[in-house]
Amino acid sequence: MAAEMMGVDMVTILVDDIELQVPKGELIVESVKRLGIEIPIFCYHPRMKPVGMCRMCLVETGTKQPDGTIRKMPKPQASCTLPASEGLAIYTQTPQIIQDRKGVLEFLLINHPLDCPICDRGGECPLQNNTLFYGPSTSRHIEFKRHAPKAIPLSEHVTLDLERCIQCGRCVRFTEEISGDGQLAFRFRGASMQPSTFALSAFESKFSGNTIEICPVGALTSSQSRFRARPWDLESSAGVCTLCSCGCNVWFDHRIGKLVRVNGRTNNAVNEEWTCDQGKFGHDYYNHNERQASVFIRTSARLESTSWTVGLGEIVTKLKSTGTSAGFLLGPKISNEAGFLACRAATALGSRQVAGIDSRVELGANFEVPADSLLSLEQAKVIVSVGPSLADTLPIVYLRVRKAASQKGAKVISIHSSPTELDEFAFLSLCHKPGTLSLLIQGLDGSLALEEVALQTGVSAQALKEAKTVLEGQGVSFIATNQVAHTEGSAALSDLRRLAKKLEANWNHFCETASGFASLASCSGLGMELQSPESILKKCLSGDIKFLWLVDFDPFELVKDRELVKQALEEVEFLVVQSAIASEASHYASVVLPQSLPAEGGGSFTNLDGQLQNFDAFLPKIGMARADWQIFAELLSRMDLAAGMFSRQDILQMAAKDVPYFKEALTGKQDHQPQPSGAGV
Amino acid sequence: MSLGILKDVARPILGGMGITAKRLRHKKATISYPEQRREQYPRTRWRHALTRYENGLEKCIGCSLCAGACPAKCINVVAAENTDEDRHSPGERYAVRYEINMIRCIFCGYCQEACPTGAIVLRKEFELANYHREDFIYTKEMLLEAKAST
Repeated sequence: MAAEMMGVDMVTILVDDIELQVPKGELIVESVKRLGIEIPIFCYHPRMKPVGMCRMCLVETGTKQPDGTIRKMPKPQASCTLPASEGLAIYTQTPQIIQDRKGVLEFLLINHPLDCPICDRGGECPLQNNTLFYGPSTSRHIEFKRHAPKAIPLSEHVTLDLERCIQCGRCVRFTEEISGDGQLAFRFRGASMQPSTFALSAFESKFSGNTIEICPVGALTSSQSRFRARPWDLESSAGVCTLCSCGCNVWFDHRIGKLVRVNGRTNNAVNEEWTCDQGKFGHDYYNHNERQASVFIRTSARLESTSWTVGLGEIVTKLKSTGTSAGFLLGPKISNEAGFLACRAATALGSRQVAGIDSRVELGANFEVPADSLLSLEQAKVIVSVGPSLADTLPIVYLRVRKAASQKGAKVISIHSSPTELDEFAFLSLCHKPGTLSLLIQGLDGSLALEEVALQTGVSAQALKEAKTVLEGQGVSFIATNQVAHTEGSAALSDLRRLAKKLEANWNHFCETASGFASLASCSGLGMELQSPESILKKCLSGDIKFLWLVDFDPFELVKDRELVKQALEEVEFLVVQSAIASEASHYASVVLPQSLPAEGGGSFTNLDGQLQNFDAFLPKIGMARADWQIFAELLSRMDLAAGMFSRQDILQMAAKDVPYFKEALTGKQDHQPQPSGAGV
Repeated sequence: MSLGILKDVARPILGGMGITAKRLRHKKATISYPEQRREQYPRTRWRHALTRYENGLEKCIGCSLCAGACPAKCINVVAAENTDEDRHSPGERYAVRYEINMIRCIFCGYCQEACPTGAIVLRKEFELANYHREDFIYTKEMLLEAKAST
């Protein structure tokens, strides 16, 4: 508590006659948690502003009189809107309060349908729990309940059951305060009040899945996992989302070896407790019906099922003859261990040809750790986001930027060529003509006249002038991804970096893929450069690369130039396709290796600000599939290039010897520990 | 000696026969089983059945509460959503799979007690022996009552 006393006024309050020191203005519903006392809640959420809508958190209050006695207020108050002040006395367990809670719950249950047996929330429902602990044991109602349409699809992902809604407003406030899209609002008043979108359009938030988790009843349910399992049938295992580089901590809820749903797991250094819709609903590929289950080898124009021994044997023989011209394409979702071992194989074989999505070769700048972490980004005074929609590429970074802007008063400057979500709350939106980003940057760093720049880029000179003034201040953070290079050319991204350095601002060039950070670190640690997939494919065409290994990399999906991919895969002498799901590339393969997914094979993943997070396996592997790191560990052992890799830890220890980043991550920072807890409240 | 034979051998035999003769007047306690069946007690709990409403819809809504209450963990329910074209039960949800492992089942009747719609009931059919372990997995098709003929 000493840390809190610094710079914060502390006040003494009485909670159930126990004296307690709390920061002045802290909400009572939070203060009592320090004593381990629980006040039942519905509408209150620690990460959102209190509204006092549900009246569940009623407490009796009083004030300390000069003579030491306590004078009680005549009526109870909602503790979620009650700030702590000196001499405040709180009573959470009096007969009056117990009676009041029963009353509130009876009131909420007037219209709540008792279809708990078919409700997806039944079993983890705050309304069920609170009724059990604080509610009346029997019902006095004989009247009819309110009826409303059931199972309204609010969007592709969210289904609304209006009857079950208790009008707490959590979902509405989430879209207003956290995701910032303001998609939901209340229609009508009184008993017919209902959350809905404006004009009854689809609920098109990029974070809509979170409303399902924070709904205290089963009013908002997931369309995807609807009726797929009861909460008590599900086993929750701690995992990390690998769909982008944010590295969100999630719970994978599975039943009988099948993934059913994904929920946010609290980690304040990464995703707080939120998930994006891509992460929450995008993991269905675990249950894909074309999962690769056995090793295939090409024998006279046909792929035939074979064993690992034969498959890997063939690869080893081929690598012994063509090892110096072997290329590796690293997929976006592979583990740190696999990424490192692939790089290690490329160096040991002498080919040094490794490519990945997050390549920075064209920028001249190789591996560079972002200056900000997700946490420190919140403290920035000015955040400059450059490029296409941040909410699409890095959703969690977007939520941080939004939080910095709405809660900490950061000024957001959004530079882009087509409108993005940031414009809603940005201090300045500089929407330039496509292809003129370099010019805009030259204007901002003062090498071109602002009027000239304004004319060419289509941004008003006034806005540019304002932006320039803001950028000269303190605490500026730049956010960019490779998307800038894709849309505006790599020169523009280099210019941007130069501008950031010149302004002495924090330069954050974030990776976009889960494997990006570790691949870049591994390559630079081993003295290589992570090339772009295109350049490797071109080398296949020119004959510099005769052996190509696709490490869970689907070129037809990830490389734009389809013709190039086709020709390169036809041209290359020997093609290894290592993948979890059968892909088009398998048609060209010499050997197909089945790879398991992170929840089945485990792996460690590094997110965009360099936090190494372990992901332990909990689902059974499909058929013959092996984890990506196991495949490479076996290959390296068979080729006598490395030995002693029996577990992931062995590989990470090995990586720590070669790669400074892994050394730092393993010794310095503490790896996160998943806290056991059920689904969100 | 001869007196001894009368007292120690003949009398007990006659006495025993006497009891047998007395029993002849009583009603028989045994029945010839496969041909004859005894009436079960009203609260007998044997083989489960999934019942239907009078209109033919299944009572089971696939809520899995029976599986949750089962102390032997022998019930597996997989639910799905009813559509207007393919309606199985009155509400939104029905059981697409309903399996009971009869070897594991201890016939405690908790499933029947937990069922909110009275769909699963334990009835009096007790001849459950079979030759293969797999045959003891009772599927929904086996458990569901036949539709009342109209």
